[in-house]
Amino acid sequence: MGRRGSQAALTIIFILFGFMLATQFRARPPISGNVPYQRAEELSVLLKATEEERDRLREEVKVLRDRVAEMMAGENQVKVLRDELLKARILGGLVDVKGPGVTVEMNDSQVKSSGVQDPNVFLIHDDDVLRVVNELFAGGAEAVAVNGQRLVATSEIRCAGPVFIINGVRVAPPLKIQAIGDPVMLQNALKMRGGVVDNLALFGIEVKIKTEQEIVVPAYSGSLNFRYAKPVKDEGSK
Amino acid sequence: MWYLVAGLLFGVLLGLNVPWKIPSILARYLAVSLLAGIDTSLGGLRASLEGEFDTVIFVSGFIGNTVLAAAFVYLGDVLGIELYLAAVVALGVRIFNNLGVIRRHYIRSQTDKKTALRKVSSGES
Repeated sequence: MGRRGSQAALTIIFILFGFMLATQFRARPPISGNVPYQRAEELSVLLKATEEERDRLREEVKVLRDRVAEMMAGENQVKVLRDELLKARILGGLVDVKGPGVTVEMNDSQVKSSGVQDPNVFLIHDDDVLRVVNELFAGGAEAVAVNGQRLVATSEIRCAGPVFIINGVRVAPPLKIQAIGDPVMLQNALKMRGGVVDNLALFGIEVKIKTEQEIVVPAYSGSLNFRYAKPVKDEGSK
Repeated sequence: MWYLVAGLLFGVLLGLNVPWKIPSILARYLAVSLLAGIDTSLGGLRASLEGEFDTVIFVSGFIGNTVLAAAFVYLGDVLGIELYLAAVVALGVRIFNNLGVIRRHYIRSQTDKKTALRKVSSGES
């Protein structure tokens, strides 16, 4: 092999070498730590203790409910009823509520599609929003609204082409989800390792979580028309 | 030497700019191949310092080693053994050996120019 040939061969080999280096650099999987075994064990002990406490508290709830029922029968009936009504209205999303919580902003991925991947994975989908909302409720959120649409028992979060339908109203990204609850708890619920935000971040979907001292979650503005559901008369309850 | 550096830079730029990515299943094979490539390149540098460099041996060694390393990992996957680790350890040891020889060579050539061309058996492969 002549000198020129040898040079050409070596150059080609080094181009190949550099190409491999760069390709591997781009392909390396993101480093993610595992939960150490000991930590997992610690957490499971903690979980067990918390579960025991929960069971105890459930008993307490039952006792207190009985007492409430007694009081309702007594002279405080009106006041108790009013309190119950207010609670039911908060639960039903019929009043504006305020309190500490988190604001979650979600937006479509700004990552440029490489052309090979399905561009759909870079957009927010209804199930992404559902998962975030679900995680918020799981984290103890007491009132949640998406772009001003309060989520109530009959709320839907549904894909409708480029937008979502929530409470029958069209809502488009960027989404602003407000949730009232323990801010730290809600934030941690979302940011759990391997959790919702981690998964969304894989596709570059932007999720910004901000804890707030006081946010206002608006009331449900839709109609309250029950055409089919009728209450069942329960003899046991008051 | 300049054309080697230019080739390497060109390859890196090419690799950074191609629009597609290697599928993650193949990334492990490429990683071990890359390690074999690094080993062979260092082996080539070592051989040239020792004055035993041969282009044919180097080129065949580079291609052969990278392909063999990937094949080795594939064999491990088929058999369900972590041969991947064996390849990484073996190549790692060789890389350190080569680096050691190169380092010693440079130190010696600094301190005593006359004994710079110490002939050691064992080639680049």
